[in-house]
Amino acid sequence: MTDHSLRLLLDFDACAQRDNGQAPAFLHRRDRKFALTCEQQGVAPSPKRWMAHMNHLSGPGAGADPSAQILGFWNRINNGFMVVGAVLGLLAMLGLLFYDGGQRINVTVILAFVAFQLLLALLTTAQSLVGWQPWRPLLRRFGKTPESAVSVKLQPVLMAQAAQRGGLCFALAGLVTLLVMVVLQDLAFGWSTTLETDAKSYHRLISTIAAPWAWLWPAAAPEFTLVEATRFFRAGAGEDATNPARWGQWWPFIAMLWATWALLPRFVLCVLAGFAIRRKARYLLASHPAKRALMYRMETPALDTGTDHNDAADQPDTDTHLSLKPLPDTRIVLCWAGAGDPELPDTLSAGKSLIAKAGGRMTLAEDRQTLKQVASHLTQTPTTSILLVTRGWEPPTGELEDFLTSAREAWPKGTQVALVPLASHIEKEPDTHQVQQWLRFAQRAGPEFITVSLIPAHEALPDMDAGALE
Amino acid sequence: MSTAPTFAVVGHPNKGKSSVVATLSQNDAIAIALEPGTTRARQAYPLSVDGKTLYTLVDTPGFQRPRRVLEWLEAHSVSASDHSETVRAFVLQHQGDGRFTDECELLTPLIEGAGIIYVVDGSVPYSAEHEAEMTILRWTGQPSLALINSIGSDDHSATWQAALGQFFQVVRNFDAVRAPFEQHLSLLRAFGQLEPDWEQALDQATHHLSAQRQRRKTLAAGIVANALKDMMSFQEKRTLTLDQVAGTSDNTLAEQLRQSWYQHQRQREQTLRVEIEHLYQHQRVRRQEAELEWHSDHDLFSEGSREHWAVSKRYLATAGFGAGAVSGAGLDAITLGTSLGTGALVGGLIGAAGSYFYGDKLTLPVLNIGLLRDGLKTATFGPVQDSQFGYVVLGRAVDHWWHISHRNHAGRELLDLEPADQHWLERLDKKSRQTIQRTLDKCRKQQPLDENQRHNFHLAIEQCMTGYEDWRLNRT
Repeated sequence: MTDHSLRLLLDFDACAQRDNGQAPAFLHRRDRKFALTCEQQGVAPSPKRWMAHMNHLSGPGAGADPSAQILGFWNRINNGFMVVGAVLGLLAMLGLLFYDGGQRINVTVILAFVAFQLLLALLTTAQSLVGWQPWRPLLRRFGKTPESAVSVKLQPVLMAQAAQRGGLCFALAGLVTLLVMVVLQDLAFGWSTTLETDAKSYHRLISTIAAPWAWLWPAAAPEFTLVEATRFFRAGAGEDATNPARWGQWWPFIAMLWATWALLPRFVLCVLAGFAIRRKARYLLASHPAKRALMYRMETPALDTGTDHNDAADQPDTDTHLSLKPLPDTRIVLCWAGAGDPELPDTLSAGKSLIAKAGGRMTLAEDRQTLKQVASHLTQTPTTSILLVTRGWEPPTGELEDFLTSAREAWPKGTQVALVPLASHIEKEPDTHQVQQWLRFAQRAGPEFITVSLIPAHEALPDMDAGALE
Repeated sequence: MSTAPTFAVVGHPNKGKSSVVATLSQNDAIAIALEPGTTRARQAYPLSVDGKTLYTLVDTPGFQRPRRVLEWLEAHSVSASDHSETVRAFVLQHQGDGRFTDECELLTPLIEGAGIIYVVDGSVPYSAEHEAEMTILRWTGQPSLALINSIGSDDHSATWQAALGQFFQVVRNFDAVRAPFEQHLSLLRAFGQLEPDWEQALDQATHHLSAQRQRRKTLAAGIVANALKDMMSFQEKRTLTLDQVAGTSDNTLAEQLRQSWYQHQRQREQTLRVEIEHLYQHQRVRRQEAELEWHSDHDLFSEGSREHWAVSKRYLATAGFGAGAVSGAGLDAITLGTSLGTGALVGGLIGAAGSYFYGDKLTLPVLNIGLLRDGLKTATFGPVQDSQFGYVVLGRAVDHWWHISHRNHAGRELLDLEPADQHWLERLDKKSRQTIQRTLDKCRKQQPLDENQRHNFHLAIEQCMTGYEDWRLNRT
């Protein structure tokens, strides 16, 4: 079977099924790229071209086309029907022409048989048009591949073609058998019926049936005399005075009857079944949901907003091993990067001997000056702790780290810095995640040198007395 | 043709630079944390259409030592005309210097010609301490725009706006987590206005992004429609041998089938959720599924779901359902009677077909145990007998779609699907109502839909989405 439409449909359907598991973004990129290539080449992208492109990309050795398997299965069904049809045709004709010399072969029986054949052929076509599938359970049992929606819709027309081919072989084998029998044997045809009819009406019937070929081959259209002479009654056997040669003159009619009313309709319907398959395949391809999706992907620009990069798993380590320390009692306070502006909380300002600023808007030279000032203060007083007030909501930066590194070198050994992150609302405590970033900073910078403390919220001033003394 | 513009998103550490980039690039896989230094290297996020880049966003680490950089720059500069060259020289000289890694990372795209998007947090008080950073950025000589992002709940944006205006050409408010899509587009257009050459590319980009959003809505309607179809027509089937039939009581069988029917429907709904999320490039909402706060009492089959999402009887009547429902219920009863008559064993009818008119529960599917055939019996449960089930699924799906389509990719919070408190479907036009009702009925009866019916159903679902969007908009 070399039906391109059918092959294309089956391949396309198989491809669409495979694509089901693919990421939509990938499919869009792939098909849009194909459409753009087509545009560059000045051709319209069609499912046929797309299929060819897909096959071209998978290269040789990709295995048989998905359609080959289904078409192979239907080829076997077709061949089976043809063989069975041919054998049955031979047997049926032998049965019809069974003649032992005692009885005539009844033309009426042959007429009825041909009419039955014609009816069967028409029913097969009608069934395929309606889509009735009485033999579907059989197909399901013997089919190797699971039925897809497309193959279910195709089955009626495919099955009709198989049946018409079987019927064609049946009719062909019947005709050949008839001709061989005519040559090999003396066949005595006659007509008989229980109905009360005369030769005249029977001749009318025969003439009507023979009308298509009467002009072509007059001998194949029996004359009234032959009809009149060859009526027989089984009860009246033995009294017949008809010339035996007359009985054989029916054979051209029988041959033409068979050829015209059994073989020819089968042939025509068989060709029509082929057309029906192609038409159905084209229709199914055109209305295939995957085709609509494919055309959509081809027509729509592929927009990539920059989602390739993925570092969601690369989250910073937010474990905090340090804990807050109580606010040390000290008289030196440093405000980092504007912390405490415009006013430090009383807890931090009252009773301090040195309150200085660093970082932020201060220059690096001023920072160095502050470091020196604190160092000299530390040597003059017994204090070993320094409060470094920061804005809790701002993250600790490299500049603070640099400042503390310099401080560690400049200040006497054993000095400790207590970082005091403030909340943006001075009366509140900073949020936990804000405090934790300072704890982690202290841990990185050296917990023996740096600790983190919070000012007690709404607490009475702890060193009021010391401040008063000062 | 001029090359596509690049925008470097820069600023102090932990001000939401990555959030801005995540939202604009629709990438929810960018590491975002309330921890300074989450971004350690610059990362480019190009927006491309058919492989052609229209613009690139570059996420960068924050400034760590701006005063030291500025000191260096000032020491190496003679006049204002050499500022940008001095910045370039700084980067060249400090490549590989551990102290200035972050500064080199963030200044590199700027010396390569990127526009500046300076991000500050408008929820904390303005601080003049950032002026060193702003001065460095001004030294690069690149077109600049300041974005006031809001991480916390306080609002100090007015003071920020006034202060930033002195340093930047354009100052915009943009909440990376909550800004609606129209603001994303307007921001991108503002990027384009920084430089005449950039305008066209950004206009194209916003055009494609809006078209993509419209397409996504249509695709989402198709996805919801397919799920509805599947769920309305789903039937749980089990084939039993004679021994199994003998060993299982009808009640046990009914219970087993019901459970697996429920299970399947829940799974199908979950698949729908994931499909919608992936359509909107939310790949990670699902990974947080364990944390997804499903109200346990708002699960698909709970009373709560019905109360919130099912439609009123009046609605059903106007959707051409009224009399149909009565005859439908009658038909079910007749079918049931017929199957009894033919000798099929009916395990149980759970709920009554007409109960929804009088009761408050959804009518549940029918259990049917078929005739013995080839030594096997087939027991089936479903499809659902009540269209209200479809409306519950539809309501929940449209609600989830709305949340996902309005969720910015910087959002890392849990997706909390709170049920709506009104019957929003009442606003739907009559034709869409009828299409939905007819399709739900067809699915319930397991009748196939042709291409045209399917298409109309998708359109009706899209109408639902539009209606729901309007309802949400007007609700607040």
